[in-house]
Amino acid sequence: MKAILASLIVLFAAEGPLADPQEEARAQDLMREIRCVACENEPISNSGSDIAADMRERVRAMVAEGQTDQEIRTWFAERYGDFVLFRPPSRGIGGFLLWGAPFIFLLAGGVLAFVISRNRRTSGRVEAVAPEDSN
Amino acid sequence: MIEAGHFAAFLALILSFFQAGQGLMGQRRAAGLSAIVAFGAMTIAFATLVVAFATSDFSVQLVAANSHTLKPFVYKIAGTWGNHEGSMALWCLVGIGFGAVAAKVMSTGRPVFEARALGVQGLLNAGALLYLLLASSPFTRLDPAPLQGAGLNPLLQDPALAAHPPMLYLGYVGYSFVFALAAAGLIEGRIDRVWARTARLWALAAFMPLTLGIALGSYWAYYELGWGGWWFWDPVENASLMPWLIGAALLHSVIVTEKRGSFGVWTALLAVLAFCFSMLGAFLVRSGVLTSVHAFAVDPLRGSLLLAGLLVFGGAALLLFALRAGKLVAGPDWTTGSREGALMGNNLVLIVATATVLLGTLFPLIAEAAGETMSVGEPYFNLTFTPIMSLALIALPIVQAWSWGKADLSSLWKWAAAFAGIVAVFWLAGIGPFDIPLLAGIGLAIAVWLIAGAAIEIWRRAKTVQRLGKMPARVWGMTLAHAGLGFFVMGAVLETSGRAHTTIALQEGQATNVAGWQLTLDDVESIEGPNWYAERATLTARRGGTVTELQPHKRFYPAAQMPTTETAIHKTGLADLYVALGDGRRNTQGETRWTFEVFLNPFIDLIYLGTILIGLGAFLSMFGRKTRVKEADG
Repeated sequence: MKAILASLIVLFAAEGPLADPQEEARAQDLMREIRCVACENEPISNSGSDIAADMRERVRAMVAEGQTDQEIRTWFAERYGDFVLFRPPSRGIGGFLLWGAPFIFLLAGGVLAFVISRNRRTSGRVEAVAPEDSN
Repeated sequence: MIEAGHFAAFLALILSFFQAGQGLMGQRRAAGLSAIVAFGAMTIAFATLVVAFATSDFSVQLVAANSHTLKPFVYKIAGTWGNHEGSMALWCLVGIGFGAVAAKVMSTGRPVFEARALGVQGLLNAGALLYLLLASSPFTRLDPAPLQGAGLNPLLQDPALAAHPPMLYLGYVGYSFVFALAAAGLIEGRIDRVWARTARLWALAAFMPLTLGIALGSYWAYYELGWGGWWFWDPVENASLMPWLIGAALLHSVIVTEKRGSFGVWTALLAVLAFCFSMLGAFLVRSGVLTSVHAFAVDPLRGSLLLAGLLVFGGAALLLFALRAGKLVAGPDWTTGSREGALMGNNLVLIVATATVLLGTLFPLIAEAAGETMSVGEPYFNLTFTPIMSLALIALPIVQAWSWGKADLSSLWKWAAAFAGIVAVFWLAGIGPFDIPLLAGIGLAIAVWLIAGAAIEIWRRAKTVQRLGKMPARVWGMTLAHAGLGFFVMGAVLETSGRAHTTIALQEGQATNVAGWQLTLDDVESIEGPNWYAERATLTARRGGTVTELQPHKRFYPAAQMPTTETAIHKTGLADLYVALGDGRRNTQGETRWTFEVFLNPFIDLIYLGTILIGLGAFLSMFGRKTRVKEADG
């Protein structure tokens, strides 16, 4: 038991937040978007693994250097592949389909629904019935 | 003992086939009787499993693999369904249970239709039982029996997660009877008002536990994973969200069929899809095709069998649907600006939202087949799902008073002005006294809009019926559910935009200020539970005159060789002060500093209040006036 408890005590210096709260907030937003490469579907903000801690430090360092969110995402994608981004890139046919399809569905469905509803008027008069009057 | 259960399960299988045969031939009495006897047999089968778990009978392979003598008694019981085989047995029990209850209570005045619904339910149950007995039998013995079990996944040793699978399955499997009703209605080509009245009740009976089951899972993830969040757009979460969205669409579409006799084709399709998405959920969770933090038991062979079941049942239903869709009749005429039109809009949004979740969940799989690896997570859904759903939420208070056939649209501009006004108030408050980002401001405006809209609708209805007591329960149900949606949105927006997260490191005796609180680490000690030991930190949190003690700990389960996080949460009424214990780290001077993840989660209880109101609303909606629809109307 002692051995296991001791193994929980890791000999690393604790990572610290950035001094500027706005920069720290930006870094934390980015950490929620970047996937830990050693874990199952976890962003680096949540993971307890060492590589995630290194990746968090990297994000903080790049934020402190003044790099933009997009530059930081690109840096991680180039290093670890698109896999590392929970915000998948929108380039290429795949990206267009992924990001565009929901809105294309909505638009096409909306047009279809409108056409269907126009065709519902077969006779001249439509009777209005209040919701509380229908049984 | 377990052999008796095995035998009873086989008996349930034979009875289910008998129920299917008799039912499809139109024999209401025989099908109903076999449904009830099958339920008795399956109850015995399940009970033998529960007894085996309760008594830690390690000669049963499943118990040996998933239990342990030191486990607390209640988790021994819950361990029955905390594994793949046991959860499939629960699936069968719930499915057969739905058939039995339906056999008792269904009274549509159409015995042949009811018989066929029971028949289709019998087929679905037989399919599930075959899968249970042939591909994932929980009734296997182990010889020689080990002296000790291998333990349960420690994450499951938790009250919320003990109740989560039964609730979720009541929802998932509840939709199997809605599916059976749709198939029976399609067989005779009658999806009319009488059909819709029954289908709506069963759709509500599935929707309510599904809602609460998802909420339980979310609450568990919130306090057990130690990540401070409550929804991660994880594939397993998405798998339960999709049937819920389809179920919500169905609840709205079936009203049109019930009240007007319209949308029959569409309602039948949704009734089929709700169960297909439930099966898809089971497939995604059980097959391991998706990586997830919640994937507890995965096996590719079982996955392909589940997929085959989905294709056979779903395909047959859709074929039936294609054959019969042309025969179904429509109700009275309506225009675009009508209650029918509004509910069609509701369905459009919910279906597109479901498609978005499906696309986001499966896209990494498709990309992998094309040789690329990618991830789709929270930012994607926040930019697609959320704005699309918002459209329906904004429209809801406006259209809920609309008449069937043709609505009075003359006050539309007043409603639009009112909404613009609420958004403006939050926008000005956001750039003025409070620091609210624009999108969060719009979210809060929608929440207030929904709650006010629910109040306005109940007031309008109260005026027309003169007395609140005369109002049908389903109107209260609808209002509660819509107000609950408002509270949910309010909680979700406040929590997501206002969450504060800090990592702190403290030595024993040290104090620090975080998120408005002063936290002092009093000590860290080793404690022991029945089947775990832990390091428990004791912190004193002070703010103003409030002093509270927080004891987050990190457990280690030796049987499963797994650690878990037990967070400590102090509820102030307005926010949760949430502390998770991290690692202890020794510095160069040999002093140990403990890290803590500290979150301040504002108004997170509103999320669960809203969800409970939605479930309660669904429950109330099941009770209507006892007026029978005459056959001539349909």
